[in-house]
Amino acid sequence: MADLKVQIIQQLNLQEVKPEDIGNDQPLFKEGLGLDSIDALELIVLLQQHHNIRIAKPEDGPNIFYSVRTMAEYITAEQNKTA
Amino acid sequence: MQQAYIQGIGCVSAQDNALFSGTVRQHEGNRLPVADPDYKQWIDIKQIRRMGRVIKMGVAASHISLEQAGVARPDAIVMGTAYGCLADTGVFLNKLVTQNEDMLTPTAFIQSTHNTVSGQIALMLGCHAYNNTFVHGAFSLENALQDSLLLLAEDPSKQILAGAVDEITDYSHNILSRFRLYKNASTQNLLQSNTHGTIAGEGAVFFVLGAEKNERSMAALTAVEMLYNPASEKETFAHIAKFLDTYGQPDLLLAGRNGDTKNDAYYAAGEEKLFAGVPVAAFKHLCGEFPTAAAFAMWMAAGVLKNGAVPAAAMFKGKAPAAPKKILIWNHGGGKHHSLILLSAC
Repeated sequence: MADLKVQIIQQLNLQEVKPEDIGNDQPLFKEGLGLDSIDALELIVLLQQHHNIRIAKPEDGPNIFYSVRTMAEYITAEQNKTA
Repeated sequence: MQQAYIQGIGCVSAQDNALFSGTVRQHEGNRLPVADPDYKQWIDIKQIRRMGRVIKMGVAASHISLEQAGVARPDAIVMGTAYGCLADTGVFLNKLVTQNEDMLTPTAFIQSTHNTVSGQIALMLGCHAYNNTFVHGAFSLENALQDSLLLLAEDPSKQILAGAVDEITDYSHNILSRFRLYKNASTQNLLQSNTHGTIAGEGAVFFVLGAEKNERSMAALTAVEMLYNPASEKETFAHIAKFLDTYGQPDLLLAGRNGDTKNDAYYAAGEEKLFAGVPVAAFKHLCGEFPTAAAFAMWMAAGVLKNGAVPAAAMFKGKAPAAPKKILIWNHGGGKHHSLILLSAC
């Protein structure tokens, strides 16, 4: 999850945010890290670029991108499917 | 033509207000970057992460001008830019190539259009009024000013946020350098260098313009005229002579001299033929050469009219006039785009 936090910070250019500032279960959007819909698109690209994962069902987005932990779990599950 | 009063000015450039008290930021090289202020004083940290440098420059300059004018939300936003948001355009195009047109991120694309700056200012102000960006090369600022004057002629109660931005990026500077446009020079010796080439510049300047004079008015924007691609020097001078017939001789000519022999020859001939005895000041050794550099000249001229003194570092020829009342900015881009901007004391 530490690597994923670094990737999120770089992809979204979160200036002055350090990986340790992002809680594993902290919501990424709205009241949490305060991300918005443009960031959601950036996170989709992050999954494609860094993990070669394309989200098949857009309606799953809110659950996948809820927190760093949910993102990490989704990445692990997708990687296990193709392993 | 409708006259407008400058109620506030914001300038992000290689110089700052210390110029008017005699402190000049000295530079050496072929590129004169802006002295970036701490943009976080105007822009939220969550928003700033998506903004390219030119957007931050424009937003900062607009905020300063609005604060000075005491205007929370203008009735129109009108700006000019020749290059637009070059840095983000470069990022987007590079990704397009390196990623084989796949997995393109939205941020650089959104931020890459020429009207991103005026759009971003409007978003931050919640301003849904008229919003226009003129992309007319070296006439971008002048067209924005003329549009602003037309808006004020239609409705004198309006407060217009008008301005111009242009940036240098490493990529654009490398490309333009291949045309041998630039040379190494210093702020102090550029105007006397008398060789080919100049120094690259950038900057953002915004003005709040209103038709009515008020206690915040710094100067009046009396006239803006353009002459495109004159066939001869004679045509250029006839145009300027007609302008002077209408508005009279200025107390100070602020010329777009940039240290390039060919460029400055226009001014040398014009000064001799049309402006005999008129003191001449310059501005491009202080801000560099860029298509909307006349906006920096306007900032300087308004400061001179307000403070009643010409910075010694700006003077090129003659004795600096005490408390000038009329300053004429004559600028040209490559001999094709000649503009005349007249500012008066108020």
